[in-house]
Amino acid sequence: MNQTISSTSDKAASILEGEDIILKVRDLHTYFYTDIGVARALNGVNFDIPRGKVMGMVGESGCGKSVTALSIMRMVTKPGRIVQGDIALFRKKKGGENDKSQIIEEINLTKLEGMGPVMRSIRGAEMSMIFQEPMTSLNPSYTIGDQIMEAILLHQGVDKVEAEKRAINILDGVGMANPALVVKRYPHELSGGMRQRAMISLALSCTPSILFADEPTTALDVTTEAQILDLMRDLQGRINMTIIFITHNLGVVAQMCDYVTVMYLGRVVEQATVDDTFYNPKHPYTSSLLRSIPHVGSRQKERLMPIRGVVPDPYSAIKGCPFHPRCSQVMRGKCDAQVPGLTVVGKSHTVRCFLYSDTVEEASNVR
Amino acid sequence: MTETVQPLPQTPPPAENQNLFDEPVSDVGDLSQWQLMRIRFSKNKLAMLGIWGMLIVYIVVFLGEFIAPNWYQFQDTEYVFGPPSPVTFIGPDGRFGLQPYTYATTTVLNKDTFAFEFAVDETQKIPISFFVQGDEVSVLGFKTKLHLFGLKDTKQRFYVMGADGLGRDMFARILVGGQISTTVGLFGVALSIILGSVLGTASGYFGGIIDDVMQRIIEVLGAFPQIPLWAALAAAMPDISENFTVVHRYFLITIVLSVVGWTGLARQLRAKVLSYRSADFTQAALAAGSSDARIILTHMVPNGASHIIVIAALGIPGMILGETSLSFLGLGILPPAVSWGALLRDAQQVSVVVQHPWLLIPAGTVVLTVWLFSLIGDGLRDAVDPYSI
Amino acid sequence: MLNYIFRRIGYMLVTLAIISVVGYLIVELPPGSYVEFEIQRLRQQGGNLSQDQITALELRYGLNDPIYVRFWKWISGFVRGDFGESFQYRQEVKDLIGQRLMFTISISIFSLLLAWGIAVPLGVYSATHRYTLPDYIITVLQFLGLSIPSFLVALVLMVFAQRTLGQQVGGLFSDQYQTAPWSVAKFIDLLAHLWIPIVVIAFGSTAGLSRIMRANLLDVLGMQYVQTARSKGLTENVVIWKHAVRNAMHPLIMILGGSLPGIISGETVLAIVMNIPTVGPMYFTAQLNQDLYLAASFLMFLSILGVLGNLLADIALAWVDPRIRYE
Repeated sequence: MNQTISSTSDKAASILEGEDIILKVRDLHTYFYTDIGVARALNGVNFDIPRGKVMGMVGESGCGKSVTALSIMRMVTKPGRIVQGDIALFRKKKGGENDKSQIIEEINLTKLEGMGPVMRSIRGAEMSMIFQEPMTSLNPSYTIGDQIMEAILLHQGVDKVEAEKRAINILDGVGMANPALVVKRYPHELSGGMRQRAMISLALSCTPSILFADEPTTALDVTTEAQILDLMRDLQGRINMTIIFITHNLGVVAQMCDYVTVMYLGRVVEQATVDDTFYNPKHPYTSSLLRSIPHVGSRQKERLMPIRGVVPDPYSAIKGCPFHPRCSQVMRGKCDAQVPGLTVVGKSHTVRCFLYSDTVEEASNVR
Repeated sequence: MTETVQPLPQTPPPAENQNLFDEPVSDVGDLSQWQLMRIRFSKNKLAMLGIWGMLIVYIVVFLGEFIAPNWYQFQDTEYVFGPPSPVTFIGPDGRFGLQPYTYATTTVLNKDTFAFEFAVDETQKIPISFFVQGDEVSVLGFKTKLHLFGLKDTKQRFYVMGADGLGRDMFARILVGGQISTTVGLFGVALSIILGSVLGTASGYFGGIIDDVMQRIIEVLGAFPQIPLWAALAAAMPDISENFTVVHRYFLITIVLSVVGWTGLARQLRAKVLSYRSADFTQAALAAGSSDARIILTHMVPNGASHIIVIAALGIPGMILGETSLSFLGLGILPPAVSWGALLRDAQQVSVVVQHPWLLIPAGTVVLTVWLFSLIGDGLRDAVDPYSI
Repeated sequence: MLNYIFRRIGYMLVTLAIISVVGYLIVELPPGSYVEFEIQRLRQQGGNLSQDQITALELRYGLNDPIYVRFWKWISGFVRGDFGESFQYRQEVKDLIGQRLMFTISISIFSLLLAWGIAVPLGVYSATHRYTLPDYIITVLQFLGLSIPSFLVALVLMVFAQRTLGQQVGGLFSDQYQTAPWSVAKFIDLLAHLWIPIVVIAFGSTAGLSRIMRANLLDVLGMQYVQTARSKGLTENVVIWKHAVRNAMHPLIMILGGSLPGIISGETVLAIVMNIPTVGPMYFTAQLNQDLYLAASFLMFLSILGVLGNLLADIALAWVDPRIRYE
């Protein structure tokens, strides 16, 4: 069960210099077997997540950001399936009172059963998730309190009275007005911002070490978005939580994140610190993404540059670098033949592009 | 660990990208909604079974007069409630062959009960021939004496599925009865669709008073039990006469079925139209100054068409069962016309069924047809929603 | 909540008023009147009625009044609990329909309970095991259940009961209990006769209900809050039964409200085949014979049942769905 992933973990083990890694994903493939074909949502995803930091995950719609989070949470349901890859969680054993003796335990999540008892004890307690749509992510049939208490009762072994007390506390902690009243409310009685706060309380109810935030502010107005982002940043600092922040809003990334992972068509193309991502992007895709958004202080006459073409649908099997059909710096005979391997281009900065080295990704045999 | 490499100083200029896209890229993303539906439908094995099965049923039923060895109205008074004729592939010489034979049947008086009983004369084997001359029938309007199979010896009759209480060939009657039973649903649904879609669309699109009135009507019709309502409407029909033939009655029955059946469709379409009315594309069309008719016809109908088809397909089984029940109760198709429900009238009594179980065969064909139609309808429903998991 | 119920009752009364008019029209719709049937019957028996006698009969039944007067006579009596007299049975309608209504209602309720008890678990299983062999088998069986006319199932079960179980079928009681006073043995005898109609009606509705349950649950399983429930670390059973099924029940409850007319329809055909003294067959003959007050009262009662079913469903829906309660 607690098998280590030695075969792939040595490679790029400490790319993020000086960071304590909490989550290591290697060669992750998640496919969806639908009626009209196999959708290759994840096609060999590799990245590391540093402990206690905020990792932004960006990319166009359909590039596999959300599926990555769901795969790590082991919540990919039929017809989807993780076909290959390893996900290593380095979990700090919460060892009693003398917190100094921290033992780090490595668990390979892909070896666990998705709905099995071990994975369930991790889910909700160790890792939790906030979804994009606050309108639909809460069950309309139960009160807010019931839904938060459900997780507390499940993982913390307290009685109902205590659970409700904790639920009110958490709601208070996320800046919900009148928390004692809100626990008795149904989701439809709350506004979008309040629902997202409730959802955050739900996710934080068992103080997880990893939080996946899947575009948590996309559906909210700008003011509420700013409040929620402030809140998340604040909470992250307070309980030293790792946040994986999935978004396609680069502005939010600049504001929130320490590191950025850029994904394209089921692969990671670049991983770097937030500064490097914005001021020294290496991958042509990252540069195009940055050129396609306006930024304050840009010269007036400068035009926004949309990326040519559209994201191919995930049913396609593109040979070579997935970005090459849209890339302005494509090298024929190279980019369209082989998948570029991982290249370290700076401190904590990796990229997969033949512009920087000739490293080729070893072919992984996927059924 | 891979070596760190300095960025290459010069990158090649952007290549002309015409032939960048000729990759082995799947075309799923380019398919239209209808193409996706077709792919999903044809991948659904049960739905394909439904399509092919129904095709065969229609062919067999409409060539029924030719396929059956006897005319469906022919009465053999010697063979009242006669059992199905046996078929064997063992010839008179005792050898197995491809030539099928039937046995001669005789009537024997049972001395105890003083009732006539049928006895199979195992010694007398009669060969079954193909493309034989027999009763004159009309197949799809053409008069012919040719039958797919039968006996050359016209003294003996060949009843694959036995005979009814007047000595008529059940097989022929089932095939001919199918012509009404398999089409009544189609016409009924077509009428319901017209009624339901016009009224449902109007109700959903214009709202207000029209909607209120329509909702009350639907609610009232929905509160009545269907069969009694059918019964009342069917009882109001005139008797069969020169001026009111079986054909008139057939069409009136389909009207009765659809008058009762349109409400469900109207309700579903109303809900659809309501959701379309607030959809962005309708708002955009309104903002562009489109007329109501244009919005309904060019924006809503194409969007709702697939749903109408699904609802229609799912409605056919109910119509077929409705006709069967009506005719079974003696309110639907009346003699001399035949339908499966009318045939089943003979099987109303348990005692009759216990004695002459072949009278229940039309029920089997009803079940088969309705089942095949349900498979098609369900396949269509699954196919229409291409992004459901 | 109370407000909501009162509003629903208001709607119900309006609907019932419309139903009484439409229902009466439907009953009157077939050509001819009961007197004409009576004359025909007498002629067939060789007798005849003089013109005076015919006029007397017509006067007695008020057949020469305009239709709205006749309607008013009937409905004003109906509201006061006077349902009129049956022409055919020459008896008060009240005395004729009481027991029959009771049988109809009890058969309907028992078969609904049976159908729901089977359909909900079956639909849940089928949805959670989509595209597996058991799902395919259930699907095929569901379609068969939807395709078989109820009277056919009844016939098959009756033949089975008669041949294999040696049970006397048809009717409600065996001969020896027909006139006996109520006792435990008579009740058991009743159940032995009732199981076939209950099973037959439940059979048809189970197929439809489980099909709908499957579709609804598949919809709900795609909802975000189901993922939220999973993300808490709940077991799959809790995720499905507590979070998904509860929300998938709404359309089913709405269908429950509207299912009574359908059940009564099915039961009409069934009762004719099985010779059970429920409402269906008597209404049916009353309608065919133009037995005006009997038919109209039956239709009214059946509609009241249907509308009442809808009301109960609305209340149940408000109970499971907090969004409706606060509407």
